[in-house]
Amino acid sequence: MLTPAGRRPWTFYVLAGLFTLFVIFLYGPMISIFILSFQGPTGGLVFPLRDPGFTWFHALFGQARTGDVGGAFSRSLPLALVVMVLTVLISVSAGFAFRRRFRGASAIFFTAITSLIVPGLVLSIGILVTFREVFGLPVRWYSSGLAAHLTWTLPFGLLIMFAVLGRLNPSWEEAAHDLGASRWQTVSQVLVPIVFPGMIAVALFGFTLSYDEFPRSWLTVGSKNTLPIEIWTMTTNVTSPALYALGTVTTAVSFVVIAIALGSIWVIQRRRSRRG
Amino acid sequence: MTLRRILPYLQVAPLTLVLALFVVLPLGLVVAVSFWRFQFLVGPVPDFTLQNYVDLLSSETTWRLYLSTVKFTLIVLAITAVLGFWISYFLVFHVRNLLTAIALFLICTVPFWTSNIIRMISWRPVLGKEGLINQALMKLGLIDQPLAWLLFSDFAVVVAYVHLFTLFMIVPIFNAMARIDKSLLEAAVDAGASRLDVVWNVVLPLSRTGIALGAVFVVTLVMGDFFVVIVMSGGLSGSATSGIYNDVQIQNYPRAAANAVILLAIVLMMATAIFRVVDVRRELVR
Amino acid sequence: MKKDMTPKGPTAAGGVSRRSVLKAGAAAVGAAAGSGVIGAPMIWAQNIKDITLNHTGMSYSTLIDIARKATEDLGFKVEMAVTDHAGMVNRMVNDPTSIDIADTEIWQTKVYVPQGVTQAVHTKRIKLWDKITPLYTQGVFAGKEVSRQGDSPYEIMYRASKDATSFHDGPTEWATFLPGVFNADTLGIRPDLLGRKVDSWADLFSADFKGRAAIQNIPTIGIMDAIMAMEASGELTYRDKGNPTREELEKTVAKLIALKRAGHWRALWNTFDESVNLMASGEVVIQSMWSPAVTAVRTQGINCVYQPLKEGYRGWGNGLALMSHLDGLKLDAAYEYLNWYLSGWVGGFIAKQGYYISVPETARQYLTDNEWGFFYEGKPATADITSPTGEKTNSAGDVRDGGSFEERFSKVAVWNNLMDEAPFLFAKWNEFNAA
Repeated sequence: MLTPAGRRPWTFYVLAGLFTLFVIFLYGPMISIFILSFQGPTGGLVFPLRDPGFTWFHALFGQARTGDVGGAFSRSLPLALVVMVLTVLISVSAGFAFRRRFRGASAIFFTAITSLIVPGLVLSIGILVTFREVFGLPVRWYSSGLAAHLTWTLPFGLLIMFAVLGRLNPSWEEAAHDLGASRWQTVSQVLVPIVFPGMIAVALFGFTLSYDEFPRSWLTVGSKNTLPIEIWTMTTNVTSPALYALGTVTTAVSFVVIAIALGSIWVIQRRRSRRG
Repeated sequence: MTLRRILPYLQVAPLTLVLALFVVLPLGLVVAVSFWRFQFLVGPVPDFTLQNYVDLLSSETTWRLYLSTVKFTLIVLAITAVLGFWISYFLVFHVRNLLTAIALFLICTVPFWTSNIIRMISWRPVLGKEGLINQALMKLGLIDQPLAWLLFSDFAVVVAYVHLFTLFMIVPIFNAMARIDKSLLEAAVDAGASRLDVVWNVVLPLSRTGIALGAVFVVTLVMGDFFVVIVMSGGLSGSATSGIYNDVQIQNYPRAAANAVILLAIVLMMATAIFRVVDVRRELVR
Repeated sequence: MKKDMTPKGPTAAGGVSRRSVLKAGAAAVGAAAGSGVIGAPMIWAQNIKDITLNHTGMSYSTLIDIARKATEDLGFKVEMAVTDHAGMVNRMVNDPTSIDIADTEIWQTKVYVPQGVTQAVHTKRIKLWDKITPLYTQGVFAGKEVSRQGDSPYEIMYRASKDATSFHDGPTEWATFLPGVFNADTLGIRPDLLGRKVDSWADLFSADFKGRAAIQNIPTIGIMDAIMAMEASGELTYRDKGNPTREELEKTVAKLIALKRAGHWRALWNTFDESVNLMASGEVVIQSMWSPAVTAVRTQGINCVYQPLKEGYRGWGNGLALMSHLDGLKLDAAYEYLNWYLSGWVGGFIAKQGYYISVPETARQYLTDNEWGFFYEGKPATADITSPTGEKTNSAGDVRDGGSFEERFSKVAVWNNLMDEAPFLFAKWNEFNAA
């Protein structure tokens, strides 16, 4: 953009190189586990690859002793989705609040930072005791587990909203308002399009942080394990490349989800440009 | 007008509720228990003693662990900040099509969707003595003994941290940069500024919120980590919180709680220092 | 039991779907047959099949296969929940009603019994109580007194009454838990890479294996391996290896730190899979190891030996504790399950991962003569030996490392334990990690 279209500045090539290296760095070890997930029945967790096949994918979804991956996944996925939705709603809302001065803002802000910092294992015990002794409620993945995950995702969501809303010019809202737009119109027509990419980032963080959270889930999900706990207990017993197969499946699913997300953004963009 | 005044309170209410019930309340218990006493074969006993704090703070081990954790934090912070800045810069200012930028951005996030544990384990076949890197170097004749320091070392810990946490830098910086008015940069270039001048004088200051937020993420993640450092160093390095897991195993909640409170205090100070440099909240209020 | 699967149960008449009928029928028959085998009072209550028992424990003994088989045989549902060592005690104490049957290690009883979260097991309700190895129930084995260094099973075995929160010296009718699986641990080695014979715990510290040795990073167990090695190498003689003094711990950890600084340790492993990888990849040639990890390395076709050492073994054991909240029908079901647990299938299953069960003679019915000879009698295998999942671990002609059950348990030197100085140990161990 800094130069007329067609001519790329030299920094483009340097940074494209850096970006490529970074992607290789990110995916390098992933690729080694993709390959190793096709280990044969006598293969180990390290190279070499011996009679490759689908043994460990079968093991993963079959009734073998690789832990209850299916059950754990059936809890982790809905939990992550609920956490994602709540994180987006609560952080976007709170993010807007922080654009005005209000009493207690500092206290709430630093409590959110505290929530980010406090060691998960300890908070996990604290939340467990709070649920049982203070609220008198049983400990379940969808109640105390959900609460524990929110304490982890909300600070991230809130702080990302700070990055998103920083230098968002309030005059746009005022202009819209002056032009006779209702509050709802202002929000939906002016603000949402501006913060939309940020909301996607918050959603992504909300989902993955929950999906992957171990310490805060440790004692708060009750007797039904979520996926990271199941994987952790698997590493104390299972040593097969089934773990790698799980990584491969997860990544494949991620790519599908991302393809769908990108596709829908593309469709929305086209519709919007047609309308505009 | 009144609605305008109470609106922020309504908007922040859900967050406040969650924080009050699930952070302030449990944390209050944790702080209270940190003054309790632990009696072996009995468990935590209500008391008011500073002994847990005295024991921890007077122990050389505590300080050595914090020093080593702070060292990791600074190294990882520097690497992820540089990577995060330039990758975001590339995505925001060099990739012309928004959809392509989002696609490339998402490519960076995919590995993030796989379990942390699996991603850490995945370094073993790469960095181990029999791993891909050593094998490649041996085949190329660059070394004749496998390099042992690639795995189970501080190097491996840093590699894993960068692998796991760079995204936490990219996301806020990317979002902050995306808000920069591109005509500003064109104006600067038209005025004869060099490309690096523009980066230094325009882009960097305008992305400082993102950098500060990313720094807070990375600092808290590394300071609070006990898992990555143990797995990647092969247990040869500890972390500030590595004692907590063992203590809670025998119900020594008082010492674990005191440990958590100390970490909280130190990291809060670090975060406050970052916010001193960049007041992220001031940037919001116009 | 398969033959009896024709619907006979009370629910068979309606017949909504063939599958559900079969299931219910099998369940009812299973309950009858199960209690028939062990002779416990039969529970005919219709609502017992609505009961779900939650069995929580660590991954090496809390195997989903056991729950599946129990559910099939007993007519009510048994669920397995797996957690880690720290999670186990914390869940029991802070969330006791989420667990029905707690599958814990011997030393963990010292943490949870004082908290009053479990009820003692009434030995009169355990049909095979008298058949349980005296290792647990009397503290003797093969006619000899078992080592009392560390937390030997006998010391924590009894309580004075159902709700007592301390242990009782000597047998009573109230057992702390139902003795379950147990084993004797030693060092794992790679004979092909060692270059010499290994027969002593002292070899863990030997300079010959500098940079190729590993120890487990679980302080309570890692320290025991270190203590065995310290005493074997003549560095220190302990008053009681199972309950060292602060001074002894200081010296032991100082030695571990000195070795660490000298680059002796390739790694300290935290999880089972790490130990397998270290061994399988050849990064490490001698290390602390658990029996199923050795099996896992062997299934990859790599020669890994669970080397018997002249100073003896480090013993450990598990048991099934009943949580306090169990009562009425659910408690009856829990006793049914405990009785089933000893009735043989579990013993046969876990034998193949190298563990022993507290009533070996019932396990025998579920093992082939070849397997029984190999795992319990120390005889050479007459055919291939497989792991519980069916992979080959040993060929015909192989003899189990350490020999027979009797030979192995006659040589237990020390038990896994929670020592009096555990809080101090944890602080010292942290120092080892920080060094």
